[in-house]
Amino acid sequence: MTSASQALEADLTDLLERRTKIPVAPDADLFELGVVSSLFAMELVVHLESTYDIAIVGPDLVMENFRSVQAMAALVRRIQDRVGAGTGV
Amino acid sequence: MRAPVSERPDAAAVALVDELVGDLAGTWDTSGVLPDPVLRKLGGAGLLCAQVPEVYGGPGYSSLRNGELTAHVGGRCSSLRSIQTSQGMAAWTVTRLGTERQRAAYLPRLVGGELAAVAFSEPGAGSDLSTMETRARIDGDELVLDGHKVWITGAAYADLVVVFAGYGDAGTAVMVPAGAPGVTIERVPEPLGCRAAGHANVRLDGVRVPLDSVLGGRPGQSLPLLVTIALAYGRISVAWGCAGILRACLAAATAHARGRRQFGRPLAEHQLVARHLAELFTAERVASRACADASASWDGNSPDLVTATMLAKYVSSTQAARGAATAVQVLASAGARDGHAVARAYRDAKLMEIIEGSNEMCELMLARHALSAA
Ligand SMILES: Cc1cc2nc3c(=O)[nH]c(=O)nc-3n(C[C@H](O)[C@H](O)[C@H](O)COP(=O)(O)OP(=O)(O)OC[C@H]3O[C@@H](n4cnc5c(N)ncnc54)[C@H](O)[C@@H]3O)c2cc1C
Repeated sequence: MTSASQALEADLTDLLERRTKIPVAPDADLFELGVVSSLFAMELVVHLESTYDIAIVGPDLVMENFRSVQAMAALVRRIQDRVGAGTGV
Repeated sequence: MRAPVSERPDAAAVALVDELVGDLAGTWDTSGVLPDPVLRKLGGAGLLCAQVPEVYGGPGYSSLRNGELTAHVGGRCSSLRSIQTSQGMAAWTVTRLGTERQRAAYLPRLVGGELAAVAFSEPGAGSDLSTMETRARIDGDELVLDGHKVWITGAAYADLVVVFAGYGDAGTAVMVPAGAPGVTIERVPEPLGCRAAGHANVRLDGVRVPLDSVLGGRPGQSLPLLVTIALAYGRISVAWGCAGILRACLAAATAHARGRRQFGRPLAEHQLVARHLAELFTAERVASRACADASASWDGNSPDLVTATMLAKYVSSTQAARGAATAVQVLASAGARDGHAVARAYRDAKLMEIIEGSNEMCELMLARHALSAA
């Protein structure tokens, strides 16, 4: 894993642990833990957007993308790659 | 008391609102109808959804500036402001949930005079939208919708209805032309408040739309997330509208208390009446600060916008409901007539404690936030 990916996961883990007050493993299923309400998911969307200078819109708003720290990190990387490749939706 | 110059709606926008509304809000309230040309003119000037960016032909207002415009409209006519809330929510939904192609297709229409309503609620799904029964399914290159939506603001005037529906175990938001075969729109008779806002029940019987009307290009997103994102705009808009209600009530109450004399002096010189004025002044300031704080989060794209918006909606609507009752108390018989500004405020503000997350729903969500943030 690149250091950028590690930093991304660390940032998300930190935010989630601060808010949920439980330890959150990168692959933990946040829905099964019951810690991501739709309001918190929206907060996460805006957090990722403002921190990583991306737009999470349209088809990317599937809950699956917010199921775990890893899923969110993968989403950010996909969007960054897409923008880099000039194929944004 | 006034917003900094850069955050005020431009003078032309305010003048257009003032010219179109004039002294007609009371008449619209009693007749229950907003004239079509008023809606088309405001809509065509982009002022029903003023945050639509300039690239799509919109005014490109910030949240704060649009909020001040919303308060201005709300202070004059909550029915018109309700239309503004729905139109703005529709535009925001397209912006957030749509693809770039869909933004380019729909946003120019929404600032070009076409009107849109947004449909979540159903007979069995009010506060608990997870029980929504409206379903979407794919048939070839079309999406088919079946369901029943209730109390949809502006649906009686709308060209487009943004319909939220279940799709499999996920969800979708779809742009449905109000005139599509299978769509039936029936007005809610005699609503308690915002009487001219065109609330209607919307039936969808096998309504077919092309797949490219599905926001995001294909169905199957998270329904709670879609709804939460769409409602965030509705909430901040209602909050600013309620700040406007409080401004109108404060103006009406102070003017009356200054002019009307009882027991040999102006009402304002009776201390118990003065307290009403102090409470109204405080309510307006508190609501406006909560709204401005939330809008600052929107404009900075800060994650705080989620909670700040909930807080603004809760503070502003509860203050407006109480403040409007206070204003009626100060005006007494002078305001006790349907169509009068404070009488409208009294009925309109009460409904703002119910929509876009009732008081109780706001309290539950704020408590949940308090528990996780503290
Ligand atoms: C003027 C107006 C405009 C509207 N415009 C629209 C629109 O444009 N689009 C749209 O989709 N809908 C619209 N609605 C519908 C509105 O969203 C719903 O009325 C609202 O969500 C509340 O649902 P309900 O009326 O079914 O009340 P219910 O959900 O039945 O609630 C009744 C009462 O019980 C309380 N309650 C419910 N659950 C709980 C709980 N768990 N804990 C504590 N208290 C609880 C509620 O707060 C409320 O006080 C509008 C309604 C009005 C009045």
